[in-house]
Amino acid sequence: MKRNPILETGEDAGRGSKRDWVPINFDLRDTWFPVAYCADVGQRPIRRIVHAQDVYLWREGSRVRAAELRPELLERMRHAATHFTAGSGMYPVEERYGYAWVWYGNPDSAHEALIPNIPFLPRDGFGIPRYTQRAVRFDASSPLSVENLIDLTHADFLHANSIGDGRSESDVVEVAATSETVTRTRIVTRKSVAPVMRWVGGVRARYQDLRAVLHVHLRNNVCISYPMFTPGYAIPNVQPFVPVGKHRSRVDQTNYTVHAPAPFRWLMPRISYVIQPQDNSVLRPQNARYFGPEERNDLSSRFDGPGNRYRLLMTRLAARQRNGDFSYGADADPSADISMLLGMRE
Amino acid sequence: MLDGRWWAIALSEALIPGSTLAVVCEGEELALFRDLAGVVFALEDRCPHRRVPLSLGPVVPGGLQCPYHGWTFEGVNGRCVGIPNLRSDERVPQRYTARCFAVRELNGFIHVWRGMGTPGGRVPAYDYQCGGPEYKGEAVIPISLDACRDVMLDGPQCLFEFSGVEITDFFYGDPRREGDHLRLDRGAVWRGKGQKPAFVRDFPLVLRTRVPLVGGDVWIELLDGDEQPLMSIMLAASENLRGTTRFCWRGFVHSRAVRGASFEWWLRRLTRRSPFAPVARIEGAELAALAVAPSRERQAWAAGRQDATRMMEGAQ
Repeated sequence: MKRNPILETGEDAGRGSKRDWVPINFDLRDTWFPVAYCADVGQRPIRRIVHAQDVYLWREGSRVRAAELRPELLERMRHAATHFTAGSGMYPVEERYGYAWVWYGNPDSAHEALIPNIPFLPRDGFGIPRYTQRAVRFDASSPLSVENLIDLTHADFLHANSIGDGRSESDVVEVAATSETVTRTRIVTRKSVAPVMRWVGGVRARYQDLRAVLHVHLRNNVCISYPMFTPGYAIPNVQPFVPVGKHRSRVDQTNYTVHAPAPFRWLMPRISYVIQPQDNSVLRPQNARYFGPEERNDLSSRFDGPGNRYRLLMTRLAARQRNGDFSYGADADPSADISMLLGMRE
Repeated sequence: MLDGRWWAIALSEALIPGSTLAVVCEGEELALFRDLAGVVFALEDRCPHRRVPLSLGPVVPGGLQCPYHGWTFEGVNGRCVGIPNLRSDERVPQRYTARCFAVRELNGFIHVWRGMGTPGGRVPAYDYQCGGPEYKGEAVIPISLDACRDVMLDGPQCLFEFSGVEITDFFYGDPRREGDHLRLDRGAVWRGKGQKPAFVRDFPLVLRTRVPLVGGDVWIELLDGDEQPLMSIMLAASENLRGTTRFCWRGFVHSRAVRGASFEWWLRRLTRRSPFAPVARIEGAELAALAVAPSRERQAWAAGRQDATRMMEGAQ
């Protein structure tokens, strides 16, 4: 069995002083990653990468299998298997919410109950339309991409032409956290209706209120979002930022627009093809700059509160794991029902 | 970094009012921008907020705005003067700054001061005075600045060419020190006219290069047999990323009658195209085959300077 390179990298990262918190160093373990849509996994193996670790997925009959090696090499190359599969070469894998979830960490700690709850998606994944599923790639590490999602102020500059001008009567942001999650709630009153929602989504009003809750699981970067527009409707979505490595991440999004009117429900999931290149235009050079010999800390304004909270909690979690503690705290239960937290019901 | 110095890093026309330009000088990425009044500024190409390149952002009244979150930085001192959505009673802390660099624009070149000391003295383009039809350009070549300076002495024909001119490998004596440059002349002939270089008794043309001991301003002149200039060029080189060198140049053709010039030279003149250009492709094998000859003088000087620096640091 090969030594665990990820753990060694984690120890190295801990030696740095100021570089410790830099959002490219986090390599958190003992968590489920939704690495692929179930519908993408067939008899022929597909390859995904998690923290630079290979994951091959395929079906044997109806059952999904996940391994460190291609299935035809498994027997011959099993000696190359790592601690991530306890030397067996096979990862624990589960199907839920339309995703194939693969365990990254000590396989003995893999429990189904640690898969995050996504209350607006059918648990068995049955009936999730393909038009809601879009895979996009980000030219940055997962945490930097998650920061981009948590951060609200960049939209007025980077995405002004796509998702509105950001003008509103009031805009309040609240942040709550556990040791394993960050929840950002944004309450906006009388914002301009985004052009796409006005002209394609059937919302004829000029202004609308928005209550948008974003729930981020720190270990696996699964971001569950429930933006509710009034007048309008909710556009619940899941954005799992799977860390491919220190420089790239992959997101198999589910924009669950099934309750929105047509043709908006079909169009909306495709907007990521417009947004993502805009984000990549800054994320790509930004990510590279975190690798330089730079000792200056990033400056912040009060608008960076949620993002900085995210950085702080990630740092704490990483420090805990470096000290050998991979357990989930008492305040953390990934499978707990979050429908109230998201504002799906009172 | 020891002595500060001016570096010519861009052509003036590369930066129209309200635009930005990403450049690299001594390996550091800089964001140049020209405000609507026409003044040029230089900031580090890195927003101190979340490290995004400032050169991607728009020029706004008051400075350069980061494209990511809209922080705005004043060109004159790098101070952050605006964070969007702050209340009217909120102020940006004084220490919120991007590093900024002194800029001087002269004779069609934009100069940036890098290093220690107070910006002062003559800029490299001080002596450049256009005296005829002018041509300009810019390029990135896949060798380091240090190697570029050496090749300019040992075999400049590997890096650039004059239309209808064959630059020979026969240089006149050893490089001569002229201030902080080394000057070297070498023979050249009109291509396709007259005898081949091997049979020429006196070269009809002379290529004169003045290569800086440090810094990046290379001066190139093509002279006729009477040592009267036919074309003068200032080439501004600076250390780029990944061991490459970025340069921009401008030069002019003197209005002197040229005797016995090649057809190619005349054709260029008639069609108002530049007779000077970087070579289309730098051949690694050619570079490797160049004998290290005149550049030894520059290397010896550089080694002596390093020794002197070490002694000074030891004394301190």
